Amino acid sequence: MARKDTFNALQKRGVEAAVADKLLQKFTSIADIASASAADLVSLGLTEEQAADTLAKLGKSKKDSGKKAAKKEAPAEPAKRIEFHRVVKAKPVTEMEIRLNGMLDELGLELPRRVVVTLGERLEGTDISEAKIKEILKKAAEKYELHKMDANESAGILAAQSIGEPGTQMTMRTFHYAGVAEINVTLGLPRLIEIVDARRVPSTPMMTVYIQPEYRENVDEVRRVASRIEKTTLLDIADIETDIVNMKVIVHPDMSKLEQKGITPEQIVEKLNKDRRLRGQVALVTDEDDPSRKQVVVSSDEPSFKKLQGIVQATRDSVIQGLDGIERAILRKQPNGEYVIYTAGSNLREVLAEDKVDRTRTTTNSIQEIYDVLGVEAARNSIINEASRTLEEQGLTVDIRHIMLVADLMTNDGDVKAIGRHGISGRKSSVLARAAFEITATHLLHAALTGETDDLDGVAENIIVGQPVTLGTGAVNLVYEPKKRPKEASQ
Amino acid sequence: MMRGVSKRIGSIKFSSLSPDEIRKMSATKVITADTYDDDGFPIDMGLMDPHLGVIEPGLRCKTCGNKVDECPGHFGHIDLAMPVIHVGLVKEIKKLLQSTCKTCGHLLMTKEEALRKAQEWADMDDLGGDAIDYRLLAKGTAKDASKNTTCPYCGQEQGKITLDKPTTFREDGHKLTPKEVRERLERIPDEDLPPLGIDPNSCRPEWMVLTALAVPPVTVRPSITLESGDRSEDDLTHKLVDVLRINQRLRENRDAGAPQLIVEDLWELLQYHVTTYFDNQTSGIPPARHRSGRPLKTLVQRLKGKEGRFRSNLSGKRVNFSARTVISPDPSLSINEVGVPEEAARELTVPVHVTKANIEFLRAMVKGGSNPPNVDGRYVPGVNYVIRTDGRRMKVTDRNAESIAEGLEVGYIVERHLMDKDVVLFNRQPSLHRMSMMAHTVRVMPWKTFRFNLCVCPPYNADFDGDEMNLHVLQSDEARAEAMILMRVQEHILSPRFGGPVIGAIHDHITGTFLLTHQDPKFDKQETLSILSKVKYDTLPEPVVVDGREYWTGHQLFSTILPEDFHITFKASICRNCPSCKKEDCDLDAYVKIRKGKLLTGTIDEKAIGSFKGKILDKITRDYGADASREFLDDVTRLAIGAIMVRGFTTGIDDEDIPEEATRQINEVLSDAIRKVSEFVQAYREGILEQLPGRSLDETLEVEVMKVLGRARDEAGQIAGRHLGMENSAVIMARSGARGSMLNLSQMAGCIGQQAVRGERLSRGYWNRTLPHFKKGDLGAEAKGFVQNSYKSGLTPTEFFFHSMGGREGLVDTAVRTSRSGYMQRRLISALEDLKLKQDGTVRNTADIIVQLKYGEDGVDPSRSVQGDAVDVDDILSEVLGDDAEALARIEEKKLAGYATIEKDLMETMEEEEVEEPEYDTGGGGGED
Repeated sequence: MARKDTFNALQKRGVEAAVADKLLQKFTSIADIASASAADLVSLGLTEEQAADTLAKLGKSKKDSGKKAAKKEAPAEPAKRIEFHRVVKAKPVTEMEIRLNGMLDELGLELPRRVVVTLGERLEGTDISEAKIKEILKKAAEKYELHKMDANESAGILAAQSIGEPGTQMTMRTFHYAGVAEINVTLGLPRLIEIVDARRVPSTPMMTVYIQPEYRENVDEVRRVASRIEKTTLLDIADIETDIVNMKVIVHPDMSKLEQKGITPEQIVEKLNKDRRLRGQVALVTDEDDPSRKQVVVSSDEPSFKKLQGIVQATRDSVIQGLDGIERAILRKQPNGEYVIYTAGSNLREVLAEDKVDRTRTTTNSIQEIYDVLGVEAARNSIINEASRTLEEQGLTVDIRHIMLVADLMTNDGDVKAIGRHGISGRKSSVLARAAFEITATHLLHAALTGETDDLDGVAENIIVGQPVTLGTGAVNLVYEPKKRPKEASQ
Repeated sequence: MMRGVSKRIGSIKFSSLSPDEIRKMSATKVITADTYDDDGFPIDMGLMDPHLGVIEPGLRCKTCGNKVDECPGHFGHIDLAMPVIHVGLVKEIKKLLQSTCKTCGHLLMTKEEALRKAQEWADMDDLGGDAIDYRLLAKGTAKDASKNTTCPYCGQEQGKITLDKPTTFREDGHKLTPKEVRERLERIPDEDLPPLGIDPNSCRPEWMVLTALAVPPVTVRPSITLESGDRSEDDLTHKLVDVLRINQRLRENRDAGAPQLIVEDLWELLQYHVTTYFDNQTSGIPPARHRSGRPLKTLVQRLKGKEGRFRSNLSGKRVNFSARTVISPDPSLSINEVGVPEEAARELTVPVHVTKANIEFLRAMVKGGSNPPNVDGRYVPGVNYVIRTDGRRMKVTDRNAESIAEGLEVGYIVERHLMDKDVVLFNRQPSLHRMSMMAHTVRVMPWKTFRFNLCVCPPYNADFDGDEMNLHVLQSDEARAEAMILMRVQEHILSPRFGGPVIGAIHDHITGTFLLTHQDPKFDKQETLSILSKVKYDTLPEPVVVDGREYWTGHQLFSTILPEDFHITFKASICRNCPSCKKEDCDLDAYVKIRKGKLLTGTIDEKAIGSFKGKILDKITRDYGADASREFLDDVTRLAIGAIMVRGFTTGIDDEDIPEEATRQINEVLSDAIRKVSEFVQAYREGILEQLPGRSLDETLEVEVMKVLGRARDEAGQIAGRHLGMENSAVIMARSGARGSMLNLSQMAGCIGQQAVRGERLSRGYWNRTLPHFKKGDLGAEAKGFVQNSYKSGLTPTEFFFHSMGGREGLVDTAVRTSRSGYMQRRLISALEDLKLKQDGTVRNTADIIVQLKYGEDGVDPSRSVQGDAVDVDDILSEVLGDDAEALARIEEKKLAGYATIEKDLMETMEEEEVEEPEYDTGGGGGED
């Protein structure tokens, strides 16, 4: 079975039958062959040419299939070339800051950037003597040192409690408008749980699309972008009539809506023609009752009601414009005069590829999508932003350091892992800690098979065996050597 | 007595028991299903064999010769007549059968493939994979191997192995007996096991099919003797009896050469019993039940879940030296103290080592016995036990107190009653954060409740409507020292959650300081002394003389408790955010300015001293330390209580009285709104309602209606509010932040407003209507849950019903929320518990993997941060430039300019994002505790 499949697959990829036969003496799958070296293949009795050729074909075919998959994700348009440029969002370093940093270096002190920036702002333009400034810096560094967290502090538990405790004070009510009355977004506890769970798709995906500075105050431009990304089905912009007698489907486009969306009837025909089920059956005709209007007629090529039904369905559902997943796009004027598009549904990859979209600011609330498109560091920032926004919206203040720690832990090994048995907790090195969390029996049985060793490093396992944990005061030993009394010393 | 921890367990290795090991460690073979004979003695080689350990006091173990508590118990074993499969391992067995050859036992992989897999394992070792990674790797290997249908070693065609849940294996549809399975597993060579994730040294695959069953010691499954004299056996014993019985019958039948069918049936029955003995919740088979119909709790059930061994007995344990009772407030206590009832204090003891220095003191105490009478109404601690150097514990009674006291020697330990200044831990569940368990010092008091200062309510989230709390007495000096340094209440004034105070004034304390300072009232000498009577102060401030009489102002009195060089400026809670701030000349007296420890202007309310918000509190703790802060809070408590008692304060239903004129206006507003709603409904019916973008017609109507009704409620509230001035007690509480809100007041005096379920107007109940009192399809205000009345005027029956619908949603919400957020927190803790800050400033887990290179990117402890900032820049500037007033002024100017723009921005955004949806009342505030 498997051999035959592989054989066929090889032939499909243009490998000659004779060559394939030889290959299969040793290899079982295409992937194996592809990963083998040319020398391996030659050893099987192939000529070097054949070997190189085969590898090239397999290697190439691999790439092809990769491309195909990518295409499947983005069927709308071939991927556009995006020009990348580095975006620096941090404020530029001011001269005052450079001066301050120089002084800090000179003094051998250290201050977080944020403090330096604030100091720079305050001191800018005030002719305070260098000595005074140094004094200020010294004082600040002294305070900073005092405010640092102590070693062996259980920073994790602190963070977990600080995020968990306000959970009880949050609302369960899921929906709340997000600056726009029309789009509902999950907020409160359910949203926080969603973030921590690292769900693939949030229950209410949403995007905030910013427009490039040149266009962002131009309503029409922005509206055009919005209608380009908003998913529009034929039903949204036209009435669809089924003519059973003549076996055809008549589409009456609503011209005002078309105009609004910037779609021409020709485009409708074009789009419908792209559908395999409708290809070659679509025609643009003038309305007989009203010559000024146009209608699209889809006629069935065979007299079957079932077929007609299929055509009606296909016509209705056909997407005329917009991106997958973007259910609705709404404009909003910001206080600074720019227009921002809020969307229900999310498709970051394709929205970023759109013209006139400000790629540096446009964002989505889907953490996984950000991870897929922009990478872990972006996902980490997204977790921080989403979590702190959710908490803030509920009027709860939680120090950002706690949220950062959770985000850093979730993204620690390069992808986004959930907090829970499928994520971090299930990956603990300690058997006992895992058993104490969830699915006790399975962990214990599995540990027995693999002969796992629990090194008792963590908290849970040390509590279980009844000895001090390795955090806080448990992490240190205090040795006190009493001073010898003078009497004893002299003896 | 062991002191401190001298030994540490380095590591624990897990492995499986082989049948040989089971037999070797067995103290006895168990063959009879009977437990006790007619005389009540355990039968030899029965399940209660005395070799398995002792559970009855006085008897000795036949194996180790120890008495009850000393003998740990010993395992026995049952030899199974036929092998059976271990339920917990069926998946592994399936994996093994599928990925190895049925005849030669080799892994179904060519050498090259196997080598590549081995490389993957080696790579994983290098990269440091975790439990899941390795498991996936093993799974992948098994999957790849099982794809090969012929053995690369012997060329044998492989059958298709399927698993009939829970324990039956089939090969191409033919049943494989456990015996056959075992034979196949035996054939798998050791070297093929590691790629499948099995360590041959810890577990040979054939051990997964059991031939011998370990019988746990009786200490693990003690039987209970009921009052009637009947014995009640443990669930495990019951299950083992079943196993033994069937095992016996199976052996007899097999040996007697019974028909294959009967033997197989019995074999399957044995499999069932062994399966349920391990896990009685295996899917696919009915759980074994007790005679009463209750499912038995077998091995897996004992370990699993919240009530299981791990979470209930290993991760958390019951303790001695603890107490629990109802709590009540006591403003005369310091925030560090807890009032403990005498009765509890006499039960809770502290071990004290007798030394040369304290022997006389302790001797006197022992002499008093275990229940010394109070002297002059004052509590006298006694002693419950004295422990001699040989470890013997002597109970102190009135009769032997004298003689024990005489015999007291250095080196003895005296367990004396709790007394004032002892350190105890105090806790209220749910313990959501570290402030839920803090160290207090004891004050033994009469009556029967635990008492503490009200400022400590917020961290515990406690109130006094019947809440109970727990108290734990520390038993070692190490623990006491740690508790005093790390856990004392005063050390937790600033919360690590947001770097502000969690401990602070609430309710009457805020009202008290408000009354004391608002508009700077004057107090005569008598009042002044009464207010200050409980506060420590050196001299009275300079009095203000009016008409020859001496007065002290509220500001002066408040200033007595402030540190001398205290500086602060901020806006009080009562501030209404006027467009332009008049600062010191504020009409509302909301601009708080303190210079050199003197309150110059402003009102002290929630923003100043309240928990979560108190700015003065925050600054004092940060700048003057925990001790100063504790003193300040204690003084605030006393001062506030003094002030409120001098002025007197009460609130009642008449606080919500509004003039008839106002009622008329409110009614007008409401009927206007209702009329508007019916107009909208009318428009909707006629189809002329203008649709909102992105909304359906129905939604548009709802949005419009709710807007109108929301506005009406607000307007009614405003009208009511106009007639409730600052002299009104309820308003004082609401405005100062002591308790309640203006919304609460407007609901009491004006109108309750729209009731909502799931954020929508009420709609469910009957067909197309909420109640039979309305016409079907009525979309008007009254029919869909608008409550026109106020709490004070009283609700109509329909309104009352609607209001209770909203209220119910609130209750359900709370119930659901607590469990959901509880689980989230458990997961968070479990994921983050191992993280700690190392000496080098990195945050790592216990596997030493770096999670953050610098904690929080700046290494600052949130509880020491200044509202999240690393250092208070402005504070440092004013401190260093203190003598350079000019430079300071320039900075100040710039800072204010900066603020102004920020505030302006903020206000603009707020205007833009004006709340479009009206707020609804989801349920009254009811349901305390």
